[in-house]
Amino acid sequence: MSFGWIFALIAGAVIIFLAIYFTAKLGQTQQELRSAEVGTEIGTLLNPLETGFESAQTSSITIPAETRIHNKCNDFSGNFGEQIIQLDQKSFGKWSETTTKVSFENKYIFSDSEIEGKKFYIFSKPFYFPFKIADLFYMTSANEKYCFMNAPYDIENEILDLNQSNLITEGCTSADTTVCFDSDKCDINVDYSSGIVEKDGEEMYFVETVEESKVLMYAAIFSNKEVYECQLKRLMMRLKELSQLYGEKELLNFNKGCNGNLRLDLIELSDMASSFGSSEEIREVKIKADVIEEGNSYAYCKLW
Amino acid sequence: MVKKMNNKAQMKIQQMSFMLIAVTLFFILVGVFFLSIMISTMRKTASSLEEKNAMLLVSKLANSPEFSCGNSFGTSMTGCIDFEKLISLQGRKEDYEDFWGVAEITIRKIYPSTGNIVCDYSNYPDCDIIEIVDKNVNKQPANSNFVSLCRKETDGSIVYDKCELALLTVSSEEKRT
Repeated sequence: MSFGWIFALIAGAVIIFLAIYFTAKLGQTQQELRSAEVGTEIGTLLNPLETGFESAQTSSITIPAETRIHNKCNDFSGNFGEQIIQLDQKSFGKWSETTTKVSFENKYIFSDSEIEGKKFYIFSKPFYFPFKIADLFYMTSANEKYCFMNAPYDIENEILDLNQSNLITEGCTSADTTVCFDSDKCDINVDYSSGIVEKDGEEMYFVETVEESKVLMYAAIFSNKEVYECQLKRLMMRLKELSQLYGEKELLNFNKGCNGNLRLDLIELSDMASSFGSSEEIREVKIKADVIEEGNSYAYCKLW
Repeated sequence: MVKKMNNKAQMKIQQMSFMLIAVTLFFILVGVFFLSIMISTMRKTASSLEEKNAMLLVSKLANSPEFSCGNSFGTSMTGCIDFEKLISLQGRKEDYEDFWGVAEITIRKIYPSTGNIVCDYSNYPDCDIIEIVDKNVNKQPANSNFVSLCRKETDGSIVYDKCELALLTVSSEEKRT
């Protein structure tokens, strides 16, 4: 074989290898881009679900390809922490894992750390503690059915009103995720009077809130402990900022001769929110929130 | 004879090298071309997603806890912004800079207007413009929504509610293509 042939074969092999390598890299980059695009779109689509006077809003998202949504939460960064969404999509029967993360400071999604499917249901509810802190989004996959067994009448009604096909109250099958209110034999057990949701052998604590009293209970039902605790901490971070905001509003009202005497309580609430560690402490914060709510309801110049 | 053959081989290697350099350059150019198209498409997508976010946000922002009146001015109202909260919020601009993911949020009092005075604690409530977010970036055309800008007012003896007409404006960042 002549030198020319050997040289051409080696050069050709190198060119073909580089072409395959860069095509694969390009495909991977496209996946990352698609993940970032869909992630951002999910966050954007949550905007219309923000509630005004409504007690709840529901919607669904359908993604063309089978998708795995990683719901991550960061309670360390900035003043409000971050809601992080990361997506993996199935192509040619294989999951292509991506590393691109999309983050939002003003969103609070409660779901398991990883949910999978093509269609996802989302419903939102406002969280008041004692004033409105944020809208909470509960995201579930259409593939996973939640069966609420022997739920109290008001919860059952609320579930039926949401009209979400994966949330049922009767006709449960063994494949469904069962939610019990009067026993501890289900996948998720709710002790409503003690304010405890037990899931995967772990306990999450919740309290009834002023308006829309069951928002935290639903949050604990639909998420795992890691997500629940982190998002609750982020909500406390926003509570801290809002308490300070209302404290300053109180001062402006005071200058106009309208004193609600809530400033010191709001400072205390802000401090409690600032040092919030886990859901076990939520009851103590609620006591202070209730005191402030009562004070505001009797005030001539209401703060909220 | 041997020298002539060596020269011929050298010539062939040189030809081959030039060919390889040409092929490599061709592939690099094609790569750069596709990369620039890809980056341009990516920027367009990012800009359009940000614009969509701003458009959807402007209709809901007045109801968010940092802005909304709640029950402070009698019954709950949609599209009602609490002026007192805004003034406090303006003092916390840095904390909220990235919170809504947009480049600009401005509330401009349009009736009654007193000019183009930017609000702060010293001139409140006799001012027109409240800047909540104002990033130093290229901005897309603004999305706006009419809102009521309400506050408590006093005439010295009684405290009453006063609401004025304002325009809430939200702009997203323009990614250069």
